[in-house]
Amino acid sequence: MSTTELGYLTIGEAAIGLRQKKFSASELTRGCLARIDAFDGKLHAFITLTRELALKQAEQADTELQAGKDRGPLHGIPIALKDLYATRGIRTTCHSAVLEHWIPDFDATAATKLSEAGTILLGKVGMHEFAFGGPSVDAPFPAVRNPWNPAHIPGGSSSGSGAALAAGLCHGALGSDTGGSIRTPAAHCGIVGIKPTFGRVSRYGVIPLSWSLDHAGPMARSVEDCAMLLQVLAGYDPKDPASADVPVPNFQEEMKGGVKGLRVGVPRKNWFDENLGIHQESEEVFNEALRVLESLGAQIIDIDGKAFSLARKANQTILISEAYTYHEKTCQETPEKLGSSVRRRIIEGAFMSAADYITAQRARAVLNEQIRADFSRVDVFAVPGAARPPEPFEGMDPNELNLRPSFTNPFNLTGLPAISVPCGFTQGNLPAGLQIVAPPFAEAACFRAAYSYEQATDWRTRRPSL
Amino acid sequence: MANEISLNQLRDLAQRAGLKLSDDALQQLVPGVNRTRQQADELRRLLNNQVEPAGHFCANKGN
Repeated sequence: MSTTELGYLTIGEAAIGLRQKKFSASELTRGCLARIDAFDGKLHAFITLTRELALKQAEQADTELQAGKDRGPLHGIPIALKDLYATRGIRTTCHSAVLEHWIPDFDATAATKLSEAGTILLGKVGMHEFAFGGPSVDAPFPAVRNPWNPAHIPGGSSSGSGAALAAGLCHGALGSDTGGSIRTPAAHCGIVGIKPTFGRVSRYGVIPLSWSLDHAGPMARSVEDCAMLLQVLAGYDPKDPASADVPVPNFQEEMKGGVKGLRVGVPRKNWFDENLGIHQESEEVFNEALRVLESLGAQIIDIDGKAFSLARKANQTILISEAYTYHEKTCQETPEKLGSSVRRRIIEGAFMSAADYITAQRARAVLNEQIRADFSRVDVFAVPGAARPPEPFEGMDPNELNLRPSFTNPFNLTGLPAISVPCGFTQGNLPAGLQIVAPPFAEAACFRAAYSYEQATDWRTRRPSL
Repeated sequence: MANEISLNQLRDLAQRAGLKLSDDALQQLVPGVNRTRQQADELRRLLNNQVEPAGHFCANKGN
């Protein structure tokens, strides 16, 4: 197999190939490393490449698999971690000068779980600084580029995870999501990412942006791969105060059950046209995705989007208040260590009053109730993965994001599980995503709808020309 | 409804927060701060006195 064919295998395909001895974990890993060497010079997905560790882990995986010690479908699979997951002995920077030389002496729970499942750690990938703001132009590491067109952003803040997957540099990745940071790069890079229910995946060892809104979750090149990753990641962790002590189902059990009769709510009214509204090309691609779901037997139901529109406002107030609190000391003593874009966004939180913050948390209670009430009429929501195609770096206006609807924020506020799956391309051959949102802890419903859509289309077979 | 914050007021608040910010930096913050305060006002209209904040401290949950 060529490095391209190897590099673009899904986790599911790689797992089968390993067990049929078509290739080894060492070959799979060397394939990823070769692609990283070939292409990452212009994509900047990786901040820290753990080449020697990866080859050693791959060798161990091969030995174990040969001896019949099979840790499960992730055994021998090369992955990357967003560089805010603490990794023992490996630099963890949050793409910032503040943590440029930090080497943790502990592992994030999610990192430990993936390691115990036998994955191969290729390295730590780039992101928006401290998971906030936009691409950092004045951070110590270059901004990640979109493999579909490196002149364009890959979306963030899990930008390195999205780009590395789209370019076939790894087979699975971890992201984090506080306002859309898994789903936006998934949409902009043409890959799959799920923000699970709040509390489903431990955030222990994940550098916080906003304690009330942070979610940890997997990204991959297929819906099934995300389900496999989430199966390993999910579960109660007493080290995370927000961890939910709820049973973990088999996420793949009903994944292939289809969407016949599924009631899909689309909260278009009073939301999609907020301020500048959704970009016309993004809306066209989204509408076409809805037609595919209908052709598969789903019922599309219009619902009111006002509560979703307001949810973004509560999300933002909570986010900047908590983010500032986390970074207060840095803002007071060494603000110059923060990049200009993230520094401005974080410091805004200093000027929120306690009453503003508590108002937002109270509004959260009201809006959560209003949005969840819609599940009496629909089974899932469908919304676009992003309000516009990924912008070019040149001339990018960070304020423009505030002028369009956020299709991701409301599901951080409500904690609902939300998956983004590729749903086509806009005119500049830039990917777009379809988001499926389900009731709390119903990730299986996200996977089922997303899988049906994915298998009815061929978007997952497209590759960027690198 | 909260009045818009002026540059002078923002300067005072920054000083009280222990932040050393130039007037240029403060000026750049003014629109965003006012936008977020307006959003908080919009959210207040959703509320009555019966609404409690989402999430409560749990006395028997060990931290």
